[in-house]
Amino acid sequence: MATKQLVTIKGTKEGLVLKLDDQCGYEDLLEALQSTKVVPQHKEADHLDIQIHLGNRYCTHEKLKKLLSVVEETQQVTVSKIKSDVLTVEESNQRVLKHQSSTYIGIVRSGQVLKIEGDVVIIGDINPNGKVEATGSIYVLGRVKGVVQAGKGGNREAVIIASWLEATHLMIDDVLEIMTNETTILSERPEMECAYLHDNGHIVIDRLQNLRSIRPNLATIKGGS
Amino acid sequence: MGEAIVITSGKGGVGKTTTSANLGTALALQGKKVCLVDTDIGLRNLDVILGLENRIIYDLVDVVEGRCKVHQALVKDKRFDELLFLLPAAQTSDKTAVTPQQMKVLIEDLKEEFDFILIDCPAGIEQGYKNAVAGADRAIVVTTPEISAVRDADRIIGLLEQESIEPPKLIINRIRPDMMDRGETLDVNEITTHLSIELLGIIPDDEHVISSSNKGEPIVMDPTSIASKAYRNIVRRVLGESVPLMTLEREKPSFFSKLKSMFKK
Repeated sequence: MATKQLVTIKGTKEGLVLKLDDQCGYEDLLEALQSTKVVPQHKEADHLDIQIHLGNRYCTHEKLKKLLSVVEETQQVTVSKIKSDVLTVEESNQRVLKHQSSTYIGIVRSGQVLKIEGDVVIIGDINPNGKVEATGSIYVLGRVKGVVQAGKGGNREAVIIASWLEATHLMIDDVLEIMTNETTILSERPEMECAYLHDNGHIVIDRLQNLRSIRPNLATIKGGS
Repeated sequence: MGEAIVITSGKGGVGKTTTSANLGTALALQGKKVCLVDTDIGLRNLDVILGLENRIIYDLVDVVEGRCKVHQALVKDKRFDELLFLLPAAQTSDKTAVTPQQMKVLIEDLKEEFDFILIDCPAGIEQGYKNAVAGADRAIVVTTPEISAVRDADRIIGLLEQESIEPPKLIINRIRPDMMDRGETLDVNEITTHLSIELLGIIPDDEHVISSSNKGEPIVMDPTSIASKAYRNIVRRVLGESVPLMTLEREKPSFFSKLKSMFKK
């Protein structure tokens, strides 16, 4: 075992990468990190960023923290990024939830609250006093006359799209916009519109055709030739 | 085996009880055996509108608590021999005197004997509403062209859609064609698209409805009234006929009256 090197360093385009063996025991790895100085000599004043690749090793939060501190202490570097090839089932489920898109067919009526993880497509209207909350974006084929909250829980990239956007309250993450007659962003014919969070911290309404330039990252399909 | 229809609205004062009385009477006029059930315990009205107030001996709570048999509590309307009956609500208890389960059993019993059971629902969405809906197979939602009534109707439809009953149908009551034309109230189309349920019928505002209710004679018994025609049309639709929607009469000056007024000048 001793012949095998547990810690290797590689120079890549993104910078120095510390590759850690993923087959040995955790304690062995820590020992190897403490005993060998793999990072080339540099002046301590220099700020050296490296990345860590864990390979197929899964570390709990505490173990990862320990590992980090050992690396930063003995190698005198700062770790900018940790890459691992494994995910727990829980993390994977959370990712799936975050990216899933659900479909609701029907009318969200007064007093009803629809709570969704991820994006949602609603085919039908949202009537006054009805509410839809999603952690992702909300797309409505129908009239929005109630309350919609997109990006609940911190997704400020989320948008609200509707065939007819006449909501009483719009929310993206925790930013609230009350749609009264005085609201200047209201248009006369609220048809085919999208609402998004502008960099200035306010909700802005625009034609939905402009979404392509406002939130290019929402598209999952490119091209169309 | 009969059918139980609940008549509800959410908001109070839109005409649930008047509608129940008139639909029940109109069904009896069509030769159906009908039982009207008043579930507005503590605030009963249906008996008054039908003019049966002083014939009540037992009520719904007495039946549920086993103090009498259903037959003893049913009040017969003598104007329709053996066709129209009322199961009155208690006036001394409140809504909590009955549970939805008890109502279900009661309505199932009545369905054995009657063609139609019309359940008059109290206003609100609490216990009284839950009791009224428990035994129903179908639901009719009554609203008026007022925004507040339409909001409440929307809420009630949402709740009814959670129940295992047929999709509810809509009656728009107390329509004032002149105000609708001027755009001062919602029009029939706006209300139906907003609520997006099937429209069962519209009833024009007619002061005879109030005067006849005060006399204890539902308006459908007067064949000349426009509201009476509207109720009769609704009943025919309930029975499965397809009847075109009534065109509301606008008081337009006739050609001759226009001509006359021209000469008068």
